[in-house]
Amino acid sequence: MSSNAVEIPKAVYVYEIPVRLWHSLNALAITVLAVTGYLIANPLASVSGEASDHFVMGYIRFAHFAAGYILAIGLLFRIYWAYAGNEYARQLFLPPLLTQKFWAGVWHEILWYSFIDKQPRKYLGHNPLALLFMHFILVWGTLFMIVTGFALYGEGTGQDSWQFALFSSWVIPLFGQSQDVHSWHHLIMWAIICFVIAHIYVAIREDKLSRQSMLKTMVTGYRTFKDDAPADD
Amino acid sequence: MNETFYDVMRRQGISRRSFLKFCSLTAASLGLAPAFAPKIAHAMETKPRIPVLWLHGLECTCCSESFIRSGHPLAKDVILSMLSLDYDDTIMASAGHEAEAIVTEIVEKYKGNYILAVEGNAPLGEDGMYCIIGGKPFVEQLRYAAENCKAIISWGSCASWGCVQAAKPNPTRATPTHKIPNLANKPIVKVPGCPPIAEVMTAVVTYLLTFDKLPTLDAQGRPQMFYSQRIHDKCYRRPHFDAGQFVEEWDDDAARQGHCLYKMGCKGPTTYNACSTMRWNEGVSFPIQSGHGCLGCSEDGFWDKGSFYERVTNINQFGIEANADKVGGIAAGVVTAGVAAHAGITALKRAQSQGEQK
Amino acid sequence: MTAIITPNGYNLDTGGRRIVVDPVTRIEGHMRCEVNIDENNIIRNAVSSGTMWRGLEVILKGRDPRDAWAFVQRICGVCTGTHALTSVRAVEDALKISIPENANSIRNIMQLTLQVQDHLVHFYHLHALDWVNPVNALKADSQATSELQQKISPHNPKSSAGYFRDVQTRIRKFVESGQLGPFKNGYWTNPAYLLPPEADLMAVTHYLEALDFQKDIMKIRTIFGGKDPHPNWLVGGVPCAINVDGVGAVGAINMERLNLISSLIDQSITFIDQVYIPDLLAIAGFYKGWLYGGGLSGTSLLSYGDIPDKANDYSASNLLMPRGAIINGDLSKVHEVDLRDPEQIQEFVPHSWYAYPDDLKGLHPWDGITEPHFKLGNKTKGTKTNIQELDENAKYSWIKAPRWRGHAMEVGPLARYVIGYAQGNKEITEQINFVLKTLDVPVTALFSTLGRTAARGLEAQWAAGKMRYFMDKLVTNIKAGDLATANVTKWQTDTWDSHVKGVGFTEAPRGALGHWLVIKDAKIENYQCVVPTTWNGSPRDEAGNIGAFEAALMNTKVERPEEPVEILRTLHSFDPCLACSTHVISPDGTELTQVKVR
Repeated sequence: MSSNAVEIPKAVYVYEIPVRLWHSLNALAITVLAVTGYLIANPLASVSGEASDHFVMGYIRFAHFAAGYILAIGLLFRIYWAYAGNEYARQLFLPPLLTQKFWAGVWHEILWYSFIDKQPRKYLGHNPLALLFMHFILVWGTLFMIVTGFALYGEGTGQDSWQFALFSSWVIPLFGQSQDVHSWHHLIMWAIICFVIAHIYVAIREDKLSRQSMLKTMVTGYRTFKDDAPADD
Repeated sequence: MNETFYDVMRRQGISRRSFLKFCSLTAASLGLAPAFAPKIAHAMETKPRIPVLWLHGLECTCCSESFIRSGHPLAKDVILSMLSLDYDDTIMASAGHEAEAIVTEIVEKYKGNYILAVEGNAPLGEDGMYCIIGGKPFVEQLRYAAENCKAIISWGSCASWGCVQAAKPNPTRATPTHKIPNLANKPIVKVPGCPPIAEVMTAVVTYLLTFDKLPTLDAQGRPQMFYSQRIHDKCYRRPHFDAGQFVEEWDDDAARQGHCLYKMGCKGPTTYNACSTMRWNEGVSFPIQSGHGCLGCSEDGFWDKGSFYERVTNINQFGIEANADKVGGIAAGVVTAGVAAHAGITALKRAQSQGEQK
Repeated sequence: MTAIITPNGYNLDTGGRRIVVDPVTRIEGHMRCEVNIDENNIIRNAVSSGTMWRGLEVILKGRDPRDAWAFVQRICGVCTGTHALTSVRAVEDALKISIPENANSIRNIMQLTLQVQDHLVHFYHLHALDWVNPVNALKADSQATSELQQKISPHNPKSSAGYFRDVQTRIRKFVESGQLGPFKNGYWTNPAYLLPPEADLMAVTHYLEALDFQKDIMKIRTIFGGKDPHPNWLVGGVPCAINVDGVGAVGAINMERLNLISSLIDQSITFIDQVYIPDLLAIAGFYKGWLYGGGLSGTSLLSYGDIPDKANDYSASNLLMPRGAIINGDLSKVHEVDLRDPEQIQEFVPHSWYAYPDDLKGLHPWDGITEPHFKLGNKTKGTKTNIQELDENAKYSWIKAPRWRGHAMEVGPLARYVIGYAQGNKEITEQINFVLKTLDVPVTALFSTLGRTAARGLEAQWAAGKMRYFMDKLVTNIKAGDLATANVTKWQTDTWDSHVKGVGFTEAPRGALGHWLVIKDAKIENYQCVVPTTWNGSPRDEAGNIGAFEAALMNTKVERPEEPVEILRTLHSFDPCLACSTHVISPDGTELTQVKVR
């Protein structure tokens, strides 16, 4: 295991520009989607005057749909980059779930966050626990939101639209009816929000307490280390 | 084209002589003069109306009531000139054995040439004896009548989805037509709604007769012509939705000006039906126009999607009644609290270890 | 072979031939009837059985009380809305919510509209074929029919010979097609049909006219409730807002809507006065020798009353439809009815397919327990899923047996009219006296199948007049500047007390209807309905009293035992509604989950 680890330089280029760009755009899209999505279900106080003078729900929904497209196209691009990019670009999509080392790593991280294990491990990419959550909540969660989102969107664009053909036509009956799809779309949004809260906290915490850089890496792409010991992944 | 009644009888090996005898018996049974027999024979040789068996299971008869509210065509014209509504226990003259005999007669004589219309659904619990027809479970009558039919029309949300008696916990195991075990495999046209709009019902029937084929159905088996768009898509109050103008409470100024009922729990955005365009009772109004949100009555399981007055469905699985946003909000709160606590402990531990190092 | 005398005075003899009618048609829902007839074809024993059960009250448990009206409205699509109105009243009673005056007027108009349409449809489309022979109409002379029409209803413009000839031609073509549709296998050669061909032709013509017109009446409910069947209602008022001339009035009840309602009310009054009532009297004139079917109507009658004149006052003096109970045939004393009194209304199950911890005791609806328990008696002929003959000594119906102070009661238009007559209600007395005089029959003729049918017609006429009254009241109130239609002060559940119970009642077209509910922590803890056909169609109780259907069939002569025209006639005169009657009550629902597993 750690015997396999090689001596590494002070800074490693892990996150290429497309990955960093996607990260920022994705974060922005999720923020917009969550806020506008919440407001679509629970609208703001009514505006007065003539209906033709206002387009409040219209703009909110437009922002939601636009952000939804950015999220979807971003994910497609990111999947492409998983092939085109470096080995760290693939990590998010292909966690080594079948290896013992991975689960040992997850266990270590749990102990570390439970204040039982005092010594953090050192990673070039994501730590295994982070990877687990990112893969299942962010990747699959986003995919779920894109599929259900387009299914709901397709109800409005109509039966002749590609959104309806590709998504609504099978997703709506699969869940029972439109109202059920709405409910699940909400629930998974909250799952992603929970992930985001934990993600931000952990990123800041790790930046301070772990043995590698975090926030700076998010911006520059380079992972730097606080000691010279070999990496654990 | 439809086979005439005479064609059917001939195909079954009945001679012309027997056929004419049948006609004179029919005349006699009606107390008519023998002179009527040739006229009956003539009619049967030329233009039969398609026989319909309209069965009733567990239901409330709102579909039949809706049907007779049709303005175009009028129910009387459908019954007198378009169909031959040979069995419908709500309006038929005969009862008991004579009524049951009609089902047998139509099933035997019009093999593959009659329509089975189902209003309500069959309970499968208690061996089907929650709904008894002629001393036997309704489901038996349904299976028997389906055996030789040309197609099945599932009237209303009961036959299409299960409706109110199938709402949780569905004590009788009420089951919609397409989910009845061992039912003959026939094309099923679902016409959901509680009840369906009268003119939608008669239009489905006249479409069958006029074009001599089933209407185009969507993925869920509903006629595309009436169920391909949501009420919200064509709602006349839609501009108020887009503008962000909502009724906030009953009888407020917005209600009196006809603003959007979204915040009052309107299910128009998730309901596929023709209410907002065709409207009800010859176009007089529809629920939203009369100030109440849509209940979503043409959707599968609409009884179990939380209160009719909440836009976001309640999810009972969480033990307490709460909708997705409440559940999610609480979860996010818990996570935030957890993060804060974790951060606090982290800081504390760090201070301790630094203290130890000093 | 045994003869018994029931406590309510019927001599039951189970000897003779047993006749089974199943399905009983031209009713709402599913029902079975069995009778024993003696060698003279006289009915000596009658058994009526509700043959469906849907379990709605079980489904209601744990739901939002504000939603309940929509669920219970689906109990019945024929008397659509009356359960919903009863439900919102029960919830308002429990939560002490008062409704605006306009909401009361609108609700009354909707309820009265139902009375008019339901009675009309019942008379022409469910009941008429028991008296009218459409095939016989082919023999009519159209000129003579025209004369008959002009004689019985001089103001009806549709009375020319040509008009009747056209209808007759249409019927003839229909009959000659050999495909008789709904008239197939009718009893058209039975001597029980007494009308001359001209009266038959007139009645069949109006069968078709009424079918066209009934859909227009219901537009009134569509305007207020958005659709019909199953319009929308609201706890605390009505959902439709009023805005006569303000901004956006086109989105509410405005002048045009009021005009449409007003016009439909006028048309309804005209149709009933010119078509329904004259037909009723003409047909009754030919059958006034057939006075079977009185049953309990001369002895035990019950009405809760309805149509509150002023909003929020449900006391008897404020109800335009009479309230009270008559027992032991004593019309000189109308007893007060209290739906909250545990001693008055109780339901029994010894002959119903339900189980109580103690089958012999009756329970007031607030304390009711119900567990479905399908079990056939030892003497049943046939098998569990193929019943030939029921055993009425055991459980035999999905209907419970409600009793008022232990008495089996008849409810419905006749009950309301006899109670109103006994109370000296001026409008009702006038109407009844007019009919008795026109037909030249004594007051006792009321207690019959025909009396029941006549009372329904008179009530439709009364209801149409009251629609006009409440429409005027609504307009007057709007004119005075009151536009309110809903009281929202207790809309939010956090304003509610944690444990409350309420009762709501109406007079449904078929009779007294009550809903009892218990609300705990803003959820329905128990919901129970005792509906008109539960009263009328009830099986025997623990004391052996037979119900109103059964009593009414007793001692009737049937012309041809294999053609149950007379049985249908009397059953139909009650306008049975089986989906209504066969509900279930459960305080905790736990027993019922076991049913599901079976």
